[in-house]
Amino acid sequence: MTLAPPTIDSGILEELRAIVGEEDAVLISKSSRLNRARVPAPFPVHRWEEFVPDAVVLPRTVQHVSEIVKLANRTKVPIVPRAGGTGLADGAVPLRGGIVVDVKRMDKIKEVDLANNTVTVGPGINMQTLNRQLVKHGVMFPDDPASYACSLIGGRIGTSGFSLLGSRYGHTRDLVISFEIVLPTGEVIEVGDGGGRKVRKSSTGYHLKHLFMGHQGTLGIVTEATLELVPRAEVEFAAFFLFEDFDTAYRTHRLLACSGLATLAGVMLFDSEKVAYLRRDDEAYIEQPDWVKAVAAASLYGTRAEVEPASKIVMELGRSLGGKYIGDEISSGDWSARHDRYANPLHGRARDGQVVPMSWHCEDAAVPYSELPAVRAKWHAIASRYVEQYEIFDDWGMFAYTNGAHKPWGDVLAEIDMGLWEERLDEAGWQAFISLKREIAQTVLDHGGSMTACHGATRAGDAELVPQEMGGGWDVMMAIKRLLDPNNVMNPGKQSLDRAYE
Amino acid sequence: MEREMSEVDETQSHVRNPLSASAAGGNGNGGYLAEVEQAFVDRWHDNAYGCFSSGHKFCREVCPVTQVTRNENHTPTAFHSNVVALEKGLIEVEDVADDYVHCTQCGACELRCPNTIMVGDFYRARTETVKVVRAMRALMVDKGLDREGWKIWNRLTDKLKNEPVLGVEGDHPNGQEHVRDWANGLDIPTGGETIMFVDCEAAFYRTSIPRATAQLLQLAGVEFGLMREQWCCGGPAAEMGYVEQARAFAEHNVADWRAIGAKRIIAIEPHDYVHFTEDYPAYFGEEFDFEVVQIVDLVAELICDGRIELKHPIDRVATYHDPCRLNKRKGIHEAPREILRAIPGLTFKDVDHVTQWSYCSGGGGGLPIEKPEITAEISRRRLEKAGELEVDMLVSACVWSERPLRAAGAAQGIEVWDIIELVAESAGIEIGGSMQSGNAPVGSTQG
Repeated sequence: MTLAPPTIDSGILEELRAIVGEEDAVLISKSSRLNRARVPAPFPVHRWEEFVPDAVVLPRTVQHVSEIVKLANRTKVPIVPRAGGTGLADGAVPLRGGIVVDVKRMDKIKEVDLANNTVTVGPGINMQTLNRQLVKHGVMFPDDPASYACSLIGGRIGTSGFSLLGSRYGHTRDLVISFEIVLPTGEVIEVGDGGGRKVRKSSTGYHLKHLFMGHQGTLGIVTEATLELVPRAEVEFAAFFLFEDFDTAYRTHRLLACSGLATLAGVMLFDSEKVAYLRRDDEAYIEQPDWVKAVAAASLYGTRAEVEPASKIVMELGRSLGGKYIGDEISSGDWSARHDRYANPLHGRARDGQVVPMSWHCEDAAVPYSELPAVRAKWHAIASRYVEQYEIFDDWGMFAYTNGAHKPWGDVLAEIDMGLWEERLDEAGWQAFISLKREIAQTVLDHGGSMTACHGATRAGDAELVPQEMGGGWDVMMAIKRLLDPNNVMNPGKQSLDRAYE
Repeated sequence: MEREMSEVDETQSHVRNPLSASAAGGNGNGGYLAEVEQAFVDRWHDNAYGCFSSGHKFCREVCPVTQVTRNENHTPTAFHSNVVALEKGLIEVEDVADDYVHCTQCGACELRCPNTIMVGDFYRARTETVKVVRAMRALMVDKGLDREGWKIWNRLTDKLKNEPVLGVEGDHPNGQEHVRDWANGLDIPTGGETIMFVDCEAAFYRTSIPRATAQLLQLAGVEFGLMREQWCCGGPAAEMGYVEQARAFAEHNVADWRAIGAKRIIAIEPHDYVHFTEDYPAYFGEEFDFEVVQIVDLVAELICDGRIELKHPIDRVATYHDPCRLNKRKGIHEAPREILRAIPGLTFKDVDHVTQWSYCSGGGGGLPIEKPEITAEISRRRLEKAGELEVDMLVSACVWSERPLRAAGAAQGIEVWDIIELVAESAGIEIGGSMQSGNAPVGSTQG
């Protein structure tokens, strides 16, 4: 395997250097390029060299970004924004080479406005880093994904991320009040609900914030964002309940989600296959009795005056159908480990039960609550077919999470986790992986869901189903893409949007 | 060829992961790697792949270098993915040589890695990044790709037998004939069962620290002596990839210890402590039977036992900088806090040791030699954090951190002291020696 030298024109590199005007801000070394191809999702390591950019630029200002984008648009060179590179669906992976605009140097806190409860930041800042600075003001930015410690604001907007505290505080799209974005032709605009950088609700014009939220780098590059500040929660509470079967846990999840508790931050559900996986292969799993086949859990955030009485209701509902409380220590410990915990699996089982090193792939979806049992059954049936047919897959179970911001009832974020023996990937294995993804996504569409609640539909397997999910809106989406990005330079090849240019 | 890390492995019993595809023969690379690269890849494949396959990059935001450069090339996860890229023939060592200079070997990334936190113990899958960086730097030396500044530094160290901490140019009072100058007038014997090992920065640059230490030990009635011929511990050479030189220095020092009947070594500096407790045992195996004591542990014990009496109030407001090699590398964070709480008059504003995983001075791992501007910025940020606590003093316990921290402190109006200097002041000792900063003695501010 060899890495071809960058094919980008040397004149373009010179222009990039002139724009940023700083040493080491335009990178073309092999490691610079290779390390900007990687995201946490399983990766076609046998084809690594196909996904690298020709050049990487590290801008510091919106003017830099605007000039870089204008240059790319003029010369028709693909351009891909990259923030943390921690997304699970390849949004930041360049499919056609070109220029990666890495925004990590745009990581400043520009304004903390305690009168209007906003903070304005660059897209390269991380939430945990930001919140450490906000502690002294008694406020927090409550966007809390599993990648809380590593994902960056630009990527959160790019993917329209999911927060584990979303039922209480909202998700990224609810917590980003407005933002500045460089369009694919280089113009800079500010988008919110209407106008007004610090206005949460408006009826003026079109709600452009929502158009650009979750754009997956296909409609521009975010260069600044104004974020919501909420009072720091005085207390948090988490309770995990154990069940003999999935169905009882599923019904308990519903009771908790419909409790009407305003402090409810989220309700979780782990199915039998998930518990079985944890039991067989998770080093951090704390042994539970054999009868445990499913788990439901809930968390609360708010003032002590609210959370203490609410916690009693959670305990009653959690036990009402026979759930057994797991205890304070594991409940609070498991909840505290929610960020670190998602990153741990390093191995699974081959078909014959042999332990093998595996990467973790999670396929997310938004599924109406009523459809979850049927979707779950089909997902596991699909997974077992692939496990049976190929040497490289393992079914690591499903979990679900209340999906609606401030509305925990209704649809859920459901994810099926699959182990993938990445080192054994060859072209047949990679194609099988894509086909597996497509079947999982198609199942969700068949049941009236969305194939992704937060990761994005940018990867092969999902991307070709975007037109189907969007239905009549697909033509509008293509028209918007063509209008804003006439030369198809912004993150080309994603979400089937190339069809807009056919 | 003998590799540094394989030596370390022998004593640490790092068992090759039986799960790996490479162990199962699934990772052949067609023979395009030379022997040294192949040995490197074989040794580090599993460790690198554990990071590559999850790739979550929790390490990025705690890495002191990446916090400054915001360049993904310098992230610990890139240091691991490069191993995979090397194995696949996508890069060669020279492509990444400069990247691997960007590391202070503070160890924050290893602690913050979910693999370490969640699966580390069970499968020995704790992510090891410091060793990967050191091994890559050793590869760079092997291939003549080592950096110019490091080359000069280590050549002079080899010549002087001590690091050229007073400058690489000109004729400085550095080297063996001056290695005990700091002790003038203190009447310290040579040899004995307990040896105080004085690292190069303290012996030549900040001589107030060994003077404070020696006088405190004398005050407490701890018998100790100095070596006949103390060379550099060899650790900095090991950190920069000069494996053979590091080993030769270790052999000299251990031979000296044996010749004078030493049984116990007091390391007054965290880097030495790491080298004596990790590298030396790796070099010498079970033959290395010396007890190694870190000075903050010893002084905390002496204060607790009433053998050092702290009677002079230090009326200052201070915070503590957890030196990376004590806190992140060796888990020593309680003793210094006990010491600071025992100093009368001192208002101690603490920041917990886990938050300080992301703090650093930038003074380690050879970074200030090659990238002084990054070291300076890391220190500036550290002092900025101290400033938010409204303190007038930052106390460290690592002499190597104190030079860059002190420079940054001077710009921000915060004095930087070593914890042992502060204890000596409070114990009423006239320290003497050079603090290399022009700071007034703490005692002069007493009310």
